[in-house]
Amino acid sequence: MPIIEVEHLMKDFKIAKRETGFAGALKSLVKREFITKEAVKDISFTINEGEMVGYIGPNGAGKSTTIKMLTGILVPSGGHVRVNGIVPYEDRQENAKNIGVVFGQRTQLWWDLPTIESFELLKEIYQVSNERYKENMATFIDILGLDEFLNTPVRQLSLGQRMRADIAASLLHDPPILFLDEPTIGLDVVAKERMRTFIKEINKERNITVILTTHDMEDIEQLCERMVLIDHGQKVYDGEISVVKNRFGKIRTLVVDLEESKRTLQLMNGEVFKEEANRYWIRFNREEVSASEIINQITKTHNIKDLTVEEPEIESIISRIYQEGFEEISEPVRN
Amino acid sequence: MFNYRVYWTFAKKSFLRSAVYRFDVWSRLGSNIIFLLMWGSIWTALYAGKEEAGGVSFEAMLTYIVVSQFLTGVNGAGTPLWEIQEKVRTGDIALELMRPFDVPLRYLFADFGSVAFYIVTALLPLYTVLFIFMDVALPTDWLTWVYFIIASVIGFLIRYCIEMSFGLLTFFLVETGGIEDIFYFAMSLLSGSVIPLWFFPDWLATIAIYLPFQGIYYIPNSIFIGEIAGLEILTSIGIQLFWVVVTYLVLRLIWSRASKKVIVQGG
Repeated sequence: MPIIEVEHLMKDFKIAKRETGFAGALKSLVKREFITKEAVKDISFTINEGEMVGYIGPNGAGKSTTIKMLTGILVPSGGHVRVNGIVPYEDRQENAKNIGVVFGQRTQLWWDLPTIESFELLKEIYQVSNERYKENMATFIDILGLDEFLNTPVRQLSLGQRMRADIAASLLHDPPILFLDEPTIGLDVVAKERMRTFIKEINKERNITVILTTHDMEDIEQLCERMVLIDHGQKVYDGEISVVKNRFGKIRTLVVDLEESKRTLQLMNGEVFKEEANRYWIRFNREEVSASEIINQITKTHNIKDLTVEEPEIESIISRIYQEGFEEISEPVRN
Repeated sequence: MFNYRVYWTFAKKSFLRSAVYRFDVWSRLGSNIIFLLMWGSIWTALYAGKEEAGGVSFEAMLTYIVVSQFLTGVNGAGTPLWEIQEKVRTGDIALELMRPFDVPLRYLFADFGSVAFYIVTALLPLYTVLFIFMDVALPTDWLTWVYFIIASVIGFLIRYCIEMSFGLLTFFLVETGGIEDIFYFAMSLLSGSVIPLWFFPDWLATIAIYLPFQGIYYIPNSIFIGEIAGLEILTSIGIQLFWVVVTYLVLRLIWSRASKKVIVQGG
């Protein structure tokens, strides 16, 4: 059963055009011109109850704009949205009871007060019964280890602690739907892992529908079976993650700093796609060749000063999808 | 649907939050005393030993200033203009749109909490001592006290509506320096907080009488010292009630425009 339905969703923003120079400044005092920016052009998808979907795209693709329309704080310029049977912007407060939202970049907790006070406040805001509040708190304390810092003011929490508190806060009123906007941003490996385990668990045990935006491939791979990929306000891909992963996740980038560049770098299994001074970016397929083989090849002719291997980023995956397309993939695009 | 408990919780939490900032309480109190001394000496100098000026005794004038400073303390303990502007700029207020409560009311109740804390811990002790040791005229009639408290509360609400409205204008403006200047000018002069309206030149007094700001300080102060008395008290409170309704409607209008702008324009 679909719990979220999005049909031909559109959102335009009018941005005041700033003109340069004194004459422009005077002109804009009297008459301002506007440019229309299409943040979301035409996006459709449905999400079923209990699904965990990665909503992925580069910066400025329209991810947050979509999420804001799903939460009801933005009105679409066109198309339809339905979240748990409610049109969010028509009944914002009712919709609010059905959703939990975590923004990795900001907190919903009361900054100056001990963490527990924010939970108590949210209990009243969402009218959570005493028993349910106690049950939920016990669970969250157990899994997220909240008890370490319940009496610490939020401003003194580490980022990892704050994120744990924030996600617990978003789930206090048992929302059937959870929006996570970059929930692991800035966290260290251990904290990320803890976050992911928790998200997996609540999705499985409480059957909460989760929509997750992130730039971390690891998040998506570990959490989601399905991803919706958007770019420039349009859907690029909607389907199983394994397809994308098998196809593009094998690509790694090796960045090497060489001592001198008398000779150009020639490689058998790698492709130099960018160079800058003595730094080279080499793309290779993990399944055809290992990083150490490539490094061996280079050291035969050059001296390596420094090197790093980069995981594929969303941005590079998207650009490769653009370049190569999905025609060869048998999996049809879901709609 | 009005959910009283949500707002009450905001007031409680805000009370606790104020307790975190004890230094803030002391520094506010310090500056409040300095301003009290300053205006007290200015008026002492202006009266220059005279018993009476403009039909008002020196003692009454001094009382006016003391009461006015007390109310300034009360009104100053709420969310200040710059903080509202900051919340608008950072988008924090816009995010509160996705919660099941009314945003202007939530801030009003939060203000009740912080104001209550400041009154109980700082203002009341200080001004009780001042009233005991200073040569000021306290109302002898308990009814005057009641009217004064009613007028002060309404004045507080008028101030809240105006300050919040000015703060929310940040949604529509890139820069707000001019708005701030108008606000602070009106709050300090037109409200009669430091100079009572009867000392204004006629043209300015006429302007002040037709504006809502007099309801914040001038009316409660004057009721306290008996300059507004008898039937006039009721008409003055009537004027205040009129203004609280008007400023509330203006606040509502600005808020609905602002939230519409957020949800249409993305803030």
